[in-house]
Amino acid sequence: MFLLPVRAVAQWLPSGPVRLLDGRLRLGGEISATAGTPADVTFFNYTDYERNALRTFRAAVTGLWQPVERLAFLAEMRIDDAESVTAAAAYVRFRPWRGRPFDVQAGRIPPVFGAFGRRAYQADRPLIGYPLAYQYLTSLRSDALPAGADDLLRMRGRGWRSSFPVGSPYAGPGLPLISAFKWDTGVQARWLTPRLEAAFAVTNGTISNPRLGDDNGGKQLAGRLAVTPVTGLLLGASASRGNWIARAVPVASTAHAQTAFGGDAEYSRGYGMIRAEMVWSRWDLPFLSPPPEGRQATALAAWIEGRYRVSPRVYIAGRADRLGFSSITGASAAPPLPWDAPVRRYEVGAGYSVQRNLILRGSLQVNQRNGSRLDRRAFLTAQAAWWF
Amino acid sequence: MVLMALTQRACPPKLQRRRVRGLTQRVRTLPLAATGVVCFFCVSPVWPSVAGGFTATIRGRVELRQPPRDLDPRPSAADLGMHASHGATDRRRSVVYLDPAPRAAFDSRDEPRARMDQRNETFVPHVLAVVAGTTVDFPNNDRTYHNVFSLSRTRTFDLGRYAAGRSKSVRFDKPGIVRVFCEIHSHMSAYILVFSHRYFAVTDDEGRYRIANVPAGTYTVVAWNGAMPTESKQITVSDTGEATLDFVLERR
Repeated sequence: MFLLPVRAVAQWLPSGPVRLLDGRLRLGGEISATAGTPADVTFFNYTDYERNALRTFRAAVTGLWQPVERLAFLAEMRIDDAESVTAAAAYVRFRPWRGRPFDVQAGRIPPVFGAFGRRAYQADRPLIGYPLAYQYLTSLRSDALPAGADDLLRMRGRGWRSSFPVGSPYAGPGLPLISAFKWDTGVQARWLTPRLEAAFAVTNGTISNPRLGDDNGGKQLAGRLAVTPVTGLLLGASASRGNWIARAVPVASTAHAQTAFGGDAEYSRGYGMIRAEMVWSRWDLPFLSPPPEGRQATALAAWIEGRYRVSPRVYIAGRADRLGFSSITGASAAPPLPWDAPVRRYEVGAGYSVQRNLILRGSLQVNQRNGSRLDRRAFLTAQAAWWF
Repeated sequence: MVLMALTQRACPPKLQRRRVRGLTQRVRTLPLAATGVVCFFCVSPVWPSVAGGFTATIRGRVELRQPPRDLDPRPSAADLGMHASHGATDRRRSVVYLDPAPRAAFDSRDEPRARMDQRNETFVPHVLAVVAGTTVDFPNNDRTYHNVFSLSRTRTFDLGRYAAGRSKSVRFDKPGIVRVFCEIHSHMSAYILVFSHRYFAVTDDEGRYRIANVPAGTYTVVAWNGAMPTESKQITVSDTGEATLDFVLERR
């Protein structure tokens, strides 16, 4: 008689996954609504899907079917902004040897590179905005290429809609350093011990441009090694290399690689947590007339964020983020310039847990881009996220 | 009605004792939403009649028709492999208690301690029943961090992340149900039932319970399990006798 009202006060929405087939099938889900500035003409927060990451509605259902102990099938279906349903993940998970913590996954799989990309759920992220490395669109495109340095410099700060003379004649969105919104397709293996995690993957796309199907005949190799020297501290290092130019681009060879290295760290204790990550990426460019710096463009992104829980229901968080680019010299003999406009981003926010799995968040994000007309913008954003 | 048993005298032990000695036995009834109000506004029905010494015992068994299920980890497509196995949660334990409790139930003067362990990503025990004023220790005997917290209105707390070998504690002064979670491991959950009296028991492995030293009188006995609807029954005990009362809990 008393159970229901008391329970209702403590937890009035479902708190755990839906369990079917005697527990062999489990369904979890997440719904998040993010409301921010209606029209962002600066495009600081545009994503792979030409959507504003600070103004979205997402509903996702994750299913895990585990018919036997060492075999599982996973899929995540997602609807963004009430449009089409996409399979964000769909893969099989297999443990070849019983008692050995070695797993193989094949299909549309989570990224092994870096740490943020696997924080796919709002519950894992203290702030609403994304780190620049995982969301900000550079001007580079896999289906259209600059003929020379001037073509690239002309697109500085226009990653949301860049165009180049070689390849696709249409303007389109550029590539981020790593995509947080799409997962790649391929095979991965992981070895996990209490202190060490090693993962390796072979996939169709690259970390910038994860793909369902192969578009250039080349595969990406990616790996990550993470250690936990003491409880609460995680240190990770990642590397990847794969062909990034699409077969449709009329160049002599598509064997031009994106090479990336990353480092990440997380430390938590008591009510606080600090995370930091760094990503360096180099794209080989088949310039017809290469600049003195060579046929390469590099970018370096680094961010640090912290979260502190001030009460059982309330936390505060902040992030400082930077994205920089290597310099190249144009044909006009002007001084070398970064091939894309460097960006800084600062975000502070707070979260309130209405219940264990229902969080309300607010954040203030300030962006600054050097070398572009639209150089500075602040965004105030609110979000509600519920998961089970 | 059972709610009243938890909420009546929802105040620190000192105030409880003072109140039990001096106040009238008749108090008002409030819905659960009002339990945050200080103890003087808390409620109780008319106490059952107490006719004799404290020698009667109520015993019996709580049968669960469908075995309660473990709380599963949230399926995450972002994992790079199989989820590490964790200990099984013993969800068969139920709590049986009197509602309302005899008046003498509020004469306790000690300040007890209890313990809810964290082992193999599981809270042990899964159900803990304590009297108001109890301090519960939450030692971490696991190999990983845990972050014990509760957003229940009865007691909201967050112990932060602490490593193996360390322990933190929380005092529970207000009667009610506290649902406990770990912020890091979504499948970890537990219940703490805080009573304003001592007439309760947690069932053993076979569902048996025993509530001793019950004054003679007529009571409502309630069987509670976090995974099942609650069931209550009336019983009359004599001053020296032993009464048996069994329950069957099943999902509807």
